[in-house]
Parts: sequence; structure tokens; C-alpha cells
Amino acid sequence: MTVVPMPDWAEVNDAPVFDIEHVLASIDTMAAQRPVAAQIVSVANSEDTSARALSRILASDVALASRVMKLANSAYFGMRGRVTSLQFAVTVVGFTTVKTMATVALTNLDDESRLPENFWDVTTSLALAASTLAPRFGERPQDSLCLGLLAQMGAALLHHNDPDGYEEITSEQPTYRGRRAAETRRYGINSLRLTAVALEQWGFPATLTLPLKEIDDYQTLDGALLRSAFEVAARLTTDDYEEVPIHRLSCGKLVEADVVPVMDQVRADAGELRHAMLGEATGPEGPDDWIA
Amino acid sequence: MSVTISVPDDDLVPPEIVSTIFYSATVSDNLALLVAETVGTEQRLTWCNEGAVQMLGYGLADVRTVALDHLFPSLGGGELKLLLRRERATRMTLPVRTASGAVIESLVTTTPVPGGRMWTIRLLATSNEHERALRATADAHERRFSALTERSPVPTLLSEQGMRLAHVNDAFCTLVGLRAEQLLGTGWINTIHEDDLDGVIEQVAAALDGEEVETQARLVRDDGAVRTTVIRFSHLFTPGVGAGFVGTIEDITDRLAFEAKLAHQANHDPLTGLPNRTLLAQYVAERFRPGAKGLGCLFLDIDNFKVVNDSLGHTAGDELLVEVASRLRATVRPGDLVARFGGDEFVVVCEKVDEDAVVALAGRVSEALARPMRLGGVDIRPYASVGVTVQTDEHAAADELIRDCDIAMYQAKAGGKGRITVLDQQARAEARDKLRLVAELRDAIERREITLTYQPIFSAAEGHPVAVEALARWTHAERGVISPATFVPLAEESGLIAGLGLLVLDETCRQLAEWDHLLGVLAPPRANVNVSALQLDDNLPGHVAAALERHGLSPSRISVEITESALMKDPTSARDILQQLRDLGIELAIDDFGTGYSSLAYLRHLPVDCLKVDRSFVAEMAGGHSEIASAVIALAATLNLCTVAEGVETLDQAEELTRLGATYLQGFCLAEPMTGGHAAAWFAAHVEESR
Repeated sequence: MTVVPMPDWAEVNDAPVFDIEHVLASIDTMAAQRPVAAQIVSVANSEDTSARALSRILASDVALASRVMKLANSAYFGMRGRVTSLQFAVTVVGFTTVKTMATVALTNLDDESRLPENFWDVTTSLALAASTLAPRFGERPQDSLCLGLLAQMGAALLHHNDPDGYEEITSEQPTYRGRRAAETRRYGINSLRLTAVALEQWGFPATLTLPLKEIDDYQTLDGALLRSAFEVAARLTTDDYEEVPIHRLSCGKLVEADVVPVMDQVRADAGELRHAMLGEATGPEGPDDWIA
Repeated sequence: MSVTISVPDDDLVPPEIVSTIFYSATVSDNLALLVAETVGTEQRLTWCNEGAVQMLGYGLADVRTVALDHLFPSLGGGELKLLLRRERATRMTLPVRTASGAVIESLVTTTPVPGGRMWTIRLLATSNEHERALRATADAHERRFSALTERSPVPTLLSEQGMRLAHVNDAFCTLVGLRAEQLLGTGWINTIHEDDLDGVIEQVAAALDGEEVETQARLVRDDGAVRTTVIRFSHLFTPGVGAGFVGTIEDITDRLAFEAKLAHQANHDPLTGLPNRTLLAQYVAERFRPGAKGLGCLFLDIDNFKVVNDSLGHTAGDELLVEVASRLRATVRPGDLVARFGGDEFVVVCEKVDEDAVVALAGRVSEALARPMRLGGVDIRPYASVGVTVQTDEHAAADELIRDCDIAMYQAKAGGKGRITVLDQQARAEARDKLRLVAELRDAIERREITLTYQPIFSAAEGHPVAVEALARWTHAERGVISPATFVPLAEESGLIAGLGLLVLDETCRQLAEWDHLLGVLAPPRANVNVSALQLDDNLPGHVAAALERHGLSPSRISVEITESALMKDPTSARDILQQLRDLGIELAIDDFGTGYSSLAYLRHLPVDCLKVDRSFVAEMAGGHSEIASAVIALAATLNLCTVAEGVETLDQAEELTRLGATYLQGFCLAEPMTGGHAAAWFAAHVEESR
């Protein structure tokens, strides 16, 4: 269960014209290969889901279950190793997070060899920044964490289907905004919208997909949190990054002074979140020891 | 849609049913349906139903001219492909532009027709009036709830997930001195005292699991101050999201401090700050194991403390006690307990010591106390008598240890002040014996086992009996007859004298009434009852009057005998009480006259009727010394008082006393003390005879 081969996308790569529909179709193929993850994705957002039901399904995917346990015991949730049962772990991290982790597994985002460079450094920073800033925008930090974790899924799909072309875009465009414009030019759709389409298909709520669609609309607040989180992630992970004033990105919700403590917080938690998401060992003092 | 599924020919849905369904879809106004088709390289709308006409505002003919990217303005460039997929139904939440230009947020579902060139598109506005109303109600609830918690004076936490906080209110921010943004998420965890964090997390885990729990935890404020709180956690479940908690915090720091202060006050002496008797008892009881060894204690009593108090005043006395307390604390070993037992008494308790060590400590303590100190302008050396005890096998309970130590201190005091005495077994045995006797005396009084005998008193001039003296007797089941000289002082020491006195008074009255009943005019005219110094209080006249009334006797039937020394303890008060008795019509006699140091001038003002010449002066007459007896009798005559000579052993003495002018005589040679029954017979015979 731990090693899942990538689906065969050779057909897509060979096509002279990039067909976005094939990319989306491939997601369905992936779901078939991780049935447990797929089941969790479909069950987790229903109103009558219980931690008991969810943990029972989760238990059959050992790798995924251990990541949920690891995350529940991470500093982010503050439980200090008290989480010893899977059911309790599901309670602690929340259903949306479990679903997010299943989605990550489903789309092979946990296989770094197939991802754009720096993918998880950016993703963990983005997720933690979104979560930390969420209360300033009236959003639930948990949902924002999930949004951050999944936002770059579209980029991963584009990169996988067109490695050279996507490499070119990332090297030519140092900013995420510029990259999105280039993506639209090359593929007819930008990576965040692609993420939104996929998430909608899996039944993630509109509140989660709306910011992905609205990220470039500077007039509305819908995309402001994600935009600000991208800025924080860029400042933390891009060398010689040319900062954009946070005031403008956040529709006036943030000033520069707000960003400094957020960056500290993100820096502090990023490593552990990355380990939990990727199921990596974290050394002798890591949260692995907390899991009984 | 189902009609497109390939089915065997003979199961084909009849054309009339297909047309019926198609017709109803066409005219339906609550379902907005459109059909798109690939024409050339682009997709166009080719058909819509009545519902779509109403929702979008386009006529059927106009719809064919509407470009799809105009209808779905957010799907720019190649994104239309994502909606109209060839092999898969899709679902998207999209803004839909109507003919008027207005945008309706809608759930858009598309289904391809086999071949992938046509699609049915269903539009469903995501927000209708009902949903908006529901959302408004929910928002109003949310606002009310947050207003309630924000303004609440109770510090409140709201967790979103695990230990992560989504909300804290102002009261909590004030309590810990931090801003909300410093506390949200896991920031608040830093305010919990490191040693209490495990407990808090454990309770949070229980709350997330559905329980209602509470825990005591210290919160460390931003300024470093520590507040002790009780945190109560309630489970909070959001469908589709997961579990969190609501935490309310009660700051109990001040309450605990107040309770601690009260507890300290209850267990400590306010003057010296030392533990008091209650705490001492508790302390020793906690450390006492029967049969063990190593527990030792010192009992100290400051010598002549009363002198300091009386001569230099109570402030100086207090100052002395404070100084003694401080010297004691400075001299004992760390870990030893110094307690103020009461008054000028202190107790030191040590653990893991033998007798030598405790005696050595007692020596050091005495030495430290005896250093001179200046008190009210006078240099004094506060000596103390010290009793020492170490635990032995004979100590069955903790309080016996302290009691033995107390006994040892009394031995030290009795042996001369400023001494240290280790309790010896003899003294211990005696003290215990005495304790047992006290308990037995208490029982004897309660069960009226103290009996009375009556000794007749004779008129010296006429020789016939005029009264009896009631004498208390205690016949102990094991020890035999116990002398009043033993049990009366014991009763006085142990607070039993009031009960004993009442018993004697009541029994005498009862006996007098019985004699009256049996003997009529032959009954003894009067009975003398002895009253102890300790009974001489404001209650006495009332008790005497009650006893007389209870048995229907006139006051003249009783004479109260009080010792000279009892009168001299507090002469003014004694005089008032005697006067009250006298006013009742009761005769009063001074017992053992001449043995004390009465002021004769004072005697003159006492409302007494009679003096009793002490038996020692009567006894002296046998050796030819009748001077004192003679003087007492003469003095009484001068003051117009009558006299009773007691202890008359011989007829010669009787004659001599009569000659000296004694009014009454009492003694073995005349009549021995006898029981009430015997006395009745004796009186019946004797009075008859003397007539």
C-alpha cells in the first residue's frame, strides 16, 4: 500500500497539443489505484461522518494512517504525543484535514521525485501561512491549512504532464502571479484553477475552491488570504525575492508588521508539517516517539 | 439520461414516454436545462427549457446566439473544456450571467452525450431566498454568541481542532496579559505553567472525546505573575468538521490565598506566628507510629512569667513571648517543630532523636533562653522549666507523648525552676493513676456513688445534738474507702468540684426531708454542708435555694461551711456571695478558722454566724496548750459569733472547751459520723433520751 506507481501518462506527454481534459481524466485513474484514499475523499465531507467511521476506513491504509497520527501529534496541534488512537487523531486534525491528506496521497503529491522543485517547502509554508493568517480574514485556520496544502496540486499535475514546458515557465517567471499568467497562455488554464476543478470534482466545498479561482481578482477579499499566504511563502522560499507590499495583496487586511511574526511561526512549524505530510522519519526527538 | 444507456431493443422505452419526459423537462420552470453542441471548433448553445428561459431571461431563439464564455464569464480561455468534458459528467460552482447582465452563483452540472459532441447543462442557483434567510439566522446566532463571549467577564477559549484555539475573549487576554493574536492557534499553550501542561492536555483529550471535564492549572501572565485557575472544558462538535472544545476559566488565586490565610490563622498563634496546639497535635499524630522510636519532645514553661506580666504589663509579657519564640526557632535543628502550646508554654518536637540528643537540645534551649534581654527598661533572664520525653513502647497514642512531656515539665517546676527533667517512670505511673482516678471519680459522681455520712454537733451548754455536718465518702470498688482529702482536691483540679458540690448539697437536703418525714420533731434541726473555694461563685446562692425548694426545706435548715482560705482568694466577691446566701436566710460558718491568714478587720465585715475552731488547736489542748483555742473562742464571742470546736477526742477536752465558752462541740468521743439511716435511729434514741 505504501508504494503506488504513477499512472501511465505517456499518452498525454506524447500528444502534440496539451489536452487538459486528459490530465483531469488521469486523476480518476489515480483514484482507482488508492481505493482507501479515494473512499476517504468521498466520505469525509458528508455531514454525518463520524471520527469512528473515518478512522475505520483510514486504518486500512497504514501509510496514510501513520501520517494522520504523526500530524495529530505535531506541534501544530499542540497535543504533545497524547494522541495514541487513530480515531482520536482524526478528531484532533479534523475531517477536512484527513480528506486533504487522502487527496495528497491520491494524487501522488507525496512522491517528491515527480514534483516541481521545492514543491513541499513552498506548500508547507503556504499552508502554515494561510492557517496563521486565517483569523485576520475571518476564515477557519483549519480550512486554510488544507487550502494551502492542496493549492499547488494543479501545478504538480501540469509539471508532471509537461516537465520541460513547466520547467521553462518556472525559470522564466519568478513570481507566482507571472507563472499563473504563463500557465494560462500555455495550457489555457492556470494551476490554481486546475486545482479548483479537481477539488470540486471530489466534492470539496466551494469555500475551499473559491479562493483558488479568485486569487487574481485584487478587488475582492475572496482571494486575499491565499494571495497573502503565497507572498509569505515566496518570501520564505525564494532567493532574492522581490517583495510585493502585503497591504495591496491583502486588500488592506495586513500591514508589513503583521508578516514578521507569521514568518517566524511558519519557519518554526514547517519542518514538522512536511514530515507528517510526507511520512518521513523525524529523528530521535521527533513526533514518531510520541506514537504509542 | 438513462434513455441513452444501451438496452436490448425489446426493452426500449416507448416513444410516447420519451416524449412525455422530454415535454415535462421542456416546460418545467424549476429546472434550468440547456443543451450545448460542438459546432466546428467551438461549442454553442442549441436549446434550453422553460426553466432556463426564466432563470436567464433569454428567449429560446436568443439562447442560440449567446456565446458560452459569455454565459460563464469566469471560464476564460481554454477552461470551457473543463466544464464540457467528453467522457465525464462535471460539476462546478460558477457565476452565470443572465440577459440583464446580473450574475447568479450557480451549481453547474454537465453531462456529455455519447460521442462527446453534445452536453446537457443543468443550472441550479446556489443561493435562493430560503437559504439566504437560513444563513442570515445562522449569522445572527453566531454574532450573538460571539458578542456574549467577547463581553463575558468569564475568560473563555474556543478550540477549532485539538489544542488549537479559534477564539479567545477579552477576559482571557486580560487574565494572561497578551493579545488575542498571540494566543490563537497554539500560542495560549505557552501561558500554561510547564508543570500543569500535561494535566491540561489530558483533560482537553477527554473533552475532545466528548466528556465534560475540569482541571486546576496555573497560568503564567506576560509579566511573570502566576494565577491559579480552574479550567472547565466542554465538548464541541461541528458536523463534517470534527471535535473541539469550549473552555471557561475561573481565577481562584485570591480565593486560595484567602483560604490559605484562614488555614494559617486556624493553625498558628497570631502573637508569635508559631504553630498552635491544633497544628502540634496534627504534626505529632502524622509522625507517631506506635512501637516506633525516634520521636522526642520538649515541653517548656517560662518561669515567673506571671511576675513579668503583673509587674511590667501585658505588652512586656507579649514581647517576652515573642522573644522566646524567636530564640527557640533559632536554637532548634532545622526540621524541628516549635509550637506555642498556650500561655507561656512552648513545645518542641524532634524526629530521629534519642534521649541524649533531646536532653542536649533542652540544654541548648535553656541556655539560649537565659541570655539577658531588656524588657520595659529592666534586664531579665527568661529561665524556663523544661520537660523532656522520647517515644517509648508504652506510648500508645501521639497525645500521650505530649502529655508525658507536660508531666515532666511539672516535675521540673516542682523540683525548683530553671530545670530540665526527663520523665521518670514512677512519675509517669502516678500521673496515669491519677488520670484513671479522675475518670472513676467522674463516673462515681454521675452515678451518685459518692455517699454522705453525718456527724452530730452538740450544744456545749445543754449537751444535746443540735445539728449534723454532712461529710462526703467515696468507697471505691477496688481501692476501698478514699479519703475526701484525696478526692476533693482531685475534683477541684479536674473541674469536677461543681458536680460534687451539687451532689452533696442535694443529697443533704434530701436526707433532711427524709428525716423530717421519719422523725418529725426529732429530726436534726440543721445540716452543715462544706463548700469548696471553687464553688464560691455567683451560681452558688441559686443552687442552694433550688436544692432547698426541691426538697421543701426552709433556709434555716442549712448551714454553709466555707474554709478561711477560700474566702481570702477574692475577698470582695466572696463577701458578695456570702451576703446573698445570708439574704436567703442561710447560716454561714468559717471552717478551719485560724489556719489561714485572715485579716481580723476583714472578718468583722463578713456576714457569718459561726467560726469553727480547727481540730489542730483542739488537739493541742491534750498537751496543755489551750491558748489558741481559747483566743479563737474569745474572739468569736467578741464579734458576736458562735463557735464550733471540731475534733473533740476526749470528754476532758469537751469539758475544757465548754469552760472556755465554745458554743458547739463535734468529735468522735461524742458521736461518730454515720449513714443517714443510722443517724435517724441515733437521733430518735438520743433526742428522746436527752429530754
